Amino acid sequence: MPDVQSTVVEFVNKLRKRKIEGSQATAKCTVELLRSVISHQRVPHANQAAALIDAVKAVGEQLVAANPVELAVGNVVRRVLHIIREEDLSLTTAAMGGLDLLDASDDDDVDNCKGIGYPAMSAAVVAAAARSTLRPPSLQTLLEGTPESATVPYTSSSGADSESKTADKSSLTRKLKHDVIEGVNQLIHEIAGCHEQIAEQAIEHIHQNEVILTLGSSRTVLEFLCAAKEKKRSFRVFVAEGAPRYQGHLLAKELVARGLQTTVITDSAVFAMISRVNMVIIGAHAVMANGGVIGPVGVNMAALAAQKHAVPFVVLAGSHKLCPLYPHNPEVLLNELRSPSELLDFGEFSDCLDFGAGSGSLQVVNPTFDYVPPNLVSLFITDTGGHNPSYMYRLIADYYSADDLVM
Amino acid sequence: MHPAVYKVGLQYLSGDISGGNARCIAMLQAFQEVVKDYSTPPEKTLNRDMAAKISSCVSFLRECRPLSVSMGNAIRFVKNRIAKLPMTLSESEAKAALKSDIERFINEKIIGADTVIVKHAVTKIRDGDVLLTYGSPTAVEMVLLHAHELGKKFRVLVVDSRPKLQGQLLLRRLIKRGINCAYTHINAISYIMHQVTKVFLGASSVFSNGTVYSRVGTACVAMVATAFRVPVLVCCEAYKFHERVILDYSICSSNELGDPNAISKVHGREDINYFDGLTNNANLKFLNLMYDATPSDYISMIITDYGMVPPTSVPVIVREYQKEHLL
Repeated sequence: MPDVQSTVVEFVNKLRKRKIEGSQATAKCTVELLRSVISHQRVPHANQAAALIDAVKAVGEQLVAANPVELAVGNVVRRVLHIIREEDLSLTTAAMGGLDLLDASDDDDVDNCKGIGYPAMSAAVVAAAARSTLRPPSLQTLLEGTPESATVPYTSSSGADSESKTADKSSLTRKLKHDVIEGVNQLIHEIAGCHEQIAEQAIEHIHQNEVILTLGSSRTVLEFLCAAKEKKRSFRVFVAEGAPRYQGHLLAKELVARGLQTTVITDSAVFAMISRVNMVIIGAHAVMANGGVIGPVGVNMAALAAQKHAVPFVVLAGSHKLCPLYPHNPEVLLNELRSPSELLDFGEFSDCLDFGAGSGSLQVVNPTFDYVPPNLVSLFITDTGGHNPSYMYRLIADYYSADDLVM
Repeated sequence: MHPAVYKVGLQYLSGDISGGNARCIAMLQAFQEVVKDYSTPPEKTLNRDMAAKISSCVSFLRECRPLSVSMGNAIRFVKNRIAKLPMTLSESEAKAALKSDIERFINEKIIGADTVIVKHAVTKIRDGDVLLTYGSPTAVEMVLLHAHELGKKFRVLVVDSRPKLQGQLLLRRLIKRGINCAYTHINAISYIMHQVTKVFLGASSVFSNGTVYSRVGTACVAMVATAFRVPVLVCCEAYKFHERVILDYSICSSNELGDPNAISKVHGREDINYFDGLTNNANLKFLNLMYDATPSDYISMIITDYGMVPPTSVPVIVREYQKEHLL
């Protein structure tokens, strides 16, 4: 346990000092950290899911507080919590299935007696709750007509019936942790592989002799463009340089290394060039539940220009970037201001920075992110396919449970 | 070639003289020198020969840097004056008349126009305003300084763009005068536009369909301002208006291209050197546009020496103005 605690502290410090940035990198580190937290967490016989959830939540809160702008961290924490809840539920339902066979005689009166404290009964309620809350509504569940009262918090009830069936549960305990870690491993795999999944769809969207505009430096965009290039599509890429971080230079260098025809333009030329462009493709920093996008600074300008010229504005986002929160004033609240030295030399303007001697004050604004409202986005491409901005809330609901939205 | 023209040409080339008005005034003053030192060769008429002489000066200047629309208008004016010189005048009289005509153009159409623009524009600045400007437009700078002298309390957001970073020069001058400023790059325009109450822009030229031709990035600023429902005011002297119309906002055919290496190298940031050793790669190109065109729907008002007009009134001014200076 202490070594886990120290890695948590170390990661929190890295986040706080912005030593680690970018949604891909932070998501990967977060999920690996949470895996070790879970594997080191000692679980009690009763209520093991709740113990795991509490442990993950405690660590998650620290991580989110360390860098609230890095939304991928919070997303991954919520995903892991969701995995725990789901595994717990599927185990309970499986155990319930076994009970059904054993106590078939007892189960006759389940339907008319809604007693609390009757172990088999509470498990049935859990199963029903599972069907109605987690599984997508199917015709079968609708026909079964599970009553509304069935949706009780299952963690308490699973604790209740573990008291009576301790023998059963001891094997379950180990199984839950094992299953959760299996699920987290799958999540790690998914985060690592989201580029390939997204890049596979490139061929459907990029056509021969097209001109693509992009800004910022996103690995997803790089892989997406290269995938189209590998399929023998020839096209030209305009890259806005993205002052003052010049991430466009980095992207352009990598594109050129992969043999794509690349033209670097200044950020101010985005409007002038947009009429020559067939599509704008950007990588998101985060996708909000309303379909809005947090992206590299300058993205809103490009989106407005694209709308003016009816150029499709396509956003690439791995599923770890889907954030279940609705943004409020995101330009300011989900933004981060960086050092003014990126814009102005301190030496050059040092005489202007003193506020005496009748000279005016100087404020230097250097934000990191930009918000694009959903009405400016034409299409989201995630690892599960292409989606409209209006569909994002539903897609997001598949990945998170409602209990974890507020951490 | 007259040394004065040569000097101005080289100053254009090195970038020592930039900005539509400065370039135009420098050119006209060089022409005055040309006229002063001119003597009609034997067996030639003054009108024809001097027009040819001016034309050769113009083609030299064009070699140094493509002419701006305002300079084209000024050249048209000078040539018109030369052609209209009465044949009865003696050489010295003709030269004096021409010199005073050019002097009048500088004083009335450029310097005088700016004074009028400042007078009009200042009425639009109120206490508590947050004004945004882009690059380093001379007319807007005069407006801001005058408003400050009048004791109006306002803040200025200077938006800048690579590679020229002319906004830093404006910023320095405004701060020296005691105006509160904020500085940012054009990428952050959406972040700061919430606070802005008015946008003041300069223009290289205004075309007769209301399109404003200006420093690249002006269109972005005007577009974002319109999206945030902030009024966009363009300060432009009427001698820069032109009867041309354009629809293509990148105007690749007539746009001036800057030095592509200015993009690959970031001045003062040694850590940004991604393109070292890549500049000869056939796949990598740099495009450094100098101007762009802002559609008239992004412009709320154009402030000229003829008053404050909507962009739809530009063709009227072009017609009236052209009639006046062709006479």
